[in-house]
Amino acid sequence: MPIKGASSEEPPTIAQEDKLRAQLYGLLAKFLSRPPSVADLEAVAALKGDDTKLGQAIGMLARIGGRADVEGVGEEYHDLFIGVGRGELLPYASYYLTGFLHEKPLAKLRNDMAELGIEREPKASEPEDHIAAIMESMTGLILGRFGTPAPIEVQKRFFETHLESWAPYFFRDLEAAKSSVLYAAVGAIGRNFFDIEATAFAMD
Amino acid sequence: MKETKKKVDPDRRSFLKLAGVGTVAGGAALAASSTTGEAREEASKDSLYSETDHIRTYYRLARF
Repeated sequence: MPIKGASSEEPPTIAQEDKLRAQLYGLLAKFLSRPPSVADLEAVAALKGDDTKLGQAIGMLARIGGRADVEGVGEEYHDLFIGVGRGELLPYASYYLTGFLHEKPLAKLRNDMAELGIEREPKASEPEDHIAAIMESMTGLILGRFGTPAPIEVQKRFFETHLESWAPYFFRDLEAAKSSVLYAAVGAIGRNFFDIEATAFAMD
Repeated sequence: MKETKKKVDPDRRSFLKLAGVGTVAGGAALAASSTTGEAREEASKDSLYSETDHIRTYYRLARF
């Protein structure tokens, strides 16, 4: 993925809710950056959601993950994101916001990443405005992987600039995509989680 | 300024809790499922052909 983390240590001063936020971004990023491994499917099968909308989406992922086979999910991932030439979906900020890849949203993101000390992974084969890469940046900001944990204002600005305007639409598309089965649950989690994030950030 | 921030923080936290983020059960499973470590195979020691990083990248990108 196009993001380098400076360290993977978690300082002890991060609130439990923020750790869970970081983990949810990380979970979504993981499933959207490559096909799930057997270990990934086993891990999500162990998740339990409560009766909130987000919790129910997590429960759905757990149920489907517990029954999925890794080859089938690999094909699903391929049809959604790789395809022949292109997959069913193009999970890039530039594409959702302008209709084209490598556009101003990517330039803006690169600027902000540079300011925040987020490095681009030199070996990555896709631009940084991929949904998984931006979400990995959010995880890093929350946990302080690029220095100290980012204050809420910084997280809010990053979220509102690089995610809020398009990611909910992507997750809605993911949920509804022809090829989606397990990834429909991923889409539901993303849509509900981002709804919560937007509301929580707006509370400041 | 600091006071208003302290007032909002608990509201934000309790909202997150109520909305489901604060109480995602199976926290250990969530942590395990969200780490993005990648296992790397050892490079072949065969002197006739060694799979270096850029060759691995080529194969990865060339996959259909």
